[in-house]
Amino acid sequence: MTEFAGHLPGLSAGEVEWKTLHFSAWGEAAEIRVPVLSEAQGTALAGRVRDNARAYLKTLRIAEITAIIDQAIARLLDRNDPWRQKAERLLPIVTGYDPEMVRLGLTGYLKTFRQPQLKRFLAEDFADPQILDDFQTRPKGGFAKAFGPDLLLHVWAGNVPGLPLWSLISGLLVKAGSIGKVATAEPLLAGWFARILAEIDPRLGECLAVVWWKGGDEAGERVWLAQADAIVAYGGNDALKAIRDRAPVTARYLPHGHKFGFGMVARAALDTRKAGALARQAAYDVMRYDQQGCYSPQMLFVERGGRVSPREFSAYVAHELASFARKHPRRALSIEEAAGVASWRGAQELRSLGGDCDLLGDPADDWSIVHVEDAQALAPSGLNRTLSIVAVDRLDDVVSLIAPFRSFLQSVGIAAEPDDLFRLAGLLGQVGVTRICALGSMTAPEAGWHNDGRFNLLDLVTMTEIEHAAEAAADGFAPYVD
Amino acid sequence: MDVTETQIIAALLEFFDRQDTTDEDFDRLALLIFAYQFENNQPYRRFAAARGRTPLAVRGWRDIPAVPIDAFKDLTLSCRPTEEIEHVFMTSGTTRGGQRGRSYHPTLAVYDRSMILNFRQRFMQGLERIRMGILFPDEQAMPNSSLAHYLALARRECGTPDSEGFIDEAGLATARLLAALERAEARDEPYALLGASFSFVHLLDELQRRGRHFALPPGSRILDTGGFKGQSRELAADEFYDALSAALGVPRDRCINMYGMTELGTQFYDWGNETCPPVKSGPHWIRSRVVNPLTGQDVPAGETGVLVHHDLAHFNSVSAILTEDAGVVVPGGFRLLGRVDGADSKGCSVAVEEFLKAARG
Repeated sequence: MTEFAGHLPGLSAGEVEWKTLHFSAWGEAAEIRVPVLSEAQGTALAGRVRDNARAYLKTLRIAEITAIIDQAIARLLDRNDPWRQKAERLLPIVTGYDPEMVRLGLTGYLKTFRQPQLKRFLAEDFADPQILDDFQTRPKGGFAKAFGPDLLLHVWAGNVPGLPLWSLISGLLVKAGSIGKVATAEPLLAGWFARILAEIDPRLGECLAVVWWKGGDEAGERVWLAQADAIVAYGGNDALKAIRDRAPVTARYLPHGHKFGFGMVARAALDTRKAGALARQAAYDVMRYDQQGCYSPQMLFVERGGRVSPREFSAYVAHELASFARKHPRRALSIEEAAGVASWRGAQELRSLGGDCDLLGDPADDWSIVHVEDAQALAPSGLNRTLSIVAVDRLDDVVSLIAPFRSFLQSVGIAAEPDDLFRLAGLLGQVGVTRICALGSMTAPEAGWHNDGRFNLLDLVTMTEIEHAAEAAADGFAPYVD
Repeated sequence: MDVTETQIIAALLEFFDRQDTTDEDFDRLALLIFAYQFENNQPYRRFAAARGRTPLAVRGWRDIPAVPIDAFKDLTLSCRPTEEIEHVFMTSGTTRGGQRGRSYHPTLAVYDRSMILNFRQRFMQGLERIRMGILFPDEQAMPNSSLAHYLALARRECGTPDSEGFIDEAGLATARLLAALERAEARDEPYALLGASFSFVHLLDELQRRGRHFALPPGSRILDTGGFKGQSRELAADEFYDALSAALGVPRDRCINMYGMTELGTQFYDWGNETCPPVKSGPHWIRSRVVNPLTGQDVPAGETGVLVHHDLAHFNSVSAILTEDAGVVVPGGFRLLGRVDGADSKGCSVAVEEFLKAARG
């Protein structure tokens, strides 16, 4: 199977050099060709996207843009649509994730970009989203209109299918011309989405491009960085720093580093009736995309004093992970990933000899849990369905355990009664947690989520204000002036 | 029947000297040493017992459980109480928040014998002595470095009296080193440069800055070890050996890489780096397997896995270690494919390596 990745308006396939990436999983193989543009092609493409965005995208009204995105998403949600079928066939081979997990994950994720949800994105950041279309009155007097950048560069990372759509759609909503760089580990979906948009509205398709360059290719990257007015980048801190160092100082830079999620279970949630379902939800968050997402939990803090003890709860979660392993098997791990899991397991095994933890699950299983009775600070798991479950006397104690790791904090799944939920949320927010959700939905943030606590749309725009005095003065020059 | 340290040492020294050992001989000694370690090294005993691997249950060296190399940082792995031990080698502590792995040697007789026999065969290749330049600090500067000891031993046992070390408090003693290289070039006898791989990179950079290169006499040779460890720029293997060969006039097949670890008492060598990665092997008292890191099972021949070494010379600690190095078994030994550190996570979850790096600041 051969598939071309990317979306390159104005360039034909024959003009471009292609590099072939090889993927195989589930007994099938795929060759994905990713574009390698010359410096001249890159510069020309960026100019073209910028010009087209100015000439067309900026003239569309928000309602028109959301309607087009909605149509494109509808096609990806339609299981009879050829694009959707292609996604269901190829993404499991490319990412290695269980095909059923990919199918369910896509549907859940894409639903957050239907028109009603897009309105939520807009409403979250703008009291009056029409400020993106026209000058609107301001409380202080005068008028203002929000403008997106002419050229927004997205540098995507990771292998979770579809994540690039989040920033790509945010760019469209603020009418920015977009160039996105796909990750080698999942180079397809962003390009397909751009091509679907182009099928629905060819002129809109000219306002965005999806490209590829090899991670760490400084020269390749510089071409794009030099053109961008704003840059949204995802990746590890080293990669993000390298981009920051090379980006023009005048470009707005919005980095999203790798993150660390965890869960908290209060004793109120630990009765025999609720604990089973809760364990299943926690296990589901761990299973989904094998903990590759920034929102995936790597630890679970469980409060003592409930009807079900933390140790029993660990056994429940182990049971659920074992049944998920049958339903959605873990993808085949690379030698590096297997070594990561093995090294984490090895460290836990050595600790368990000292008697302060128990290792659940066999080395050959698709999952592992370490149950720890003494409170311990935040520490990453071995990923790929490895989880630490730590017993604590009070969930409030968790705050001091996580506070030193502010820059890694993001999503926390909490099972607690309302008073506790709000008290804990206050404490967690203070040390840097930006998203609190229910267990079972850690990997499915709601539409309009403020990724890493920032504004998806507001961070991209600049405001142009017409001061009240200008308006009053203009009156003096009007033809209707007396 | 309890075996004593004295008996183990005697058996090892005798085993090293024999050239006709069989698989059965290796197994017999490996099991004896495992029984000794199981009896006297408590953390290792618990580790092995937790896996159901007791001396009664283990039938051959492949069944002897290998400890993850990280364990040398967390646990005290020694059969003799550590307060009685004079010689402690420590890792450089560049990973895991500066925690250092420790290897305890109640005597250096075994280490030294293992080193010299192997070094003579693999590096000296028939020469009795050779003039050496050492690109690494000496034992006084780094008393806990197994590499400093290794190089001192090489110099003492196999170097000529006018051999020199070229790393001092100020770093690479460039002027002195260039003078030595000039003298070596002028004389018609082979010269040997030995040291850390990153020191060679510093030398290469220095020679390039000065526009210098040398043509060392035929029979000259280079031994590098240890990789770059963030102490110099990183070079691909081919690039590194091409540069060494061009700058010093030593052909790539005389550029030998030693692969060793603080947590072992024996080293591996290749037969030169004409093609990379070369085949590496050790003497008859060390054996290697390539395993799936998750299950510890051997991977089929020709497939990549993680290296496990079983080194009889590491008798006082643990003989079997699970490394973090990827490798593949080939006829005559294994090819080393670099470190697998789990950092190659493709998602956007934070992984251990990045977390530790940030936590260290």
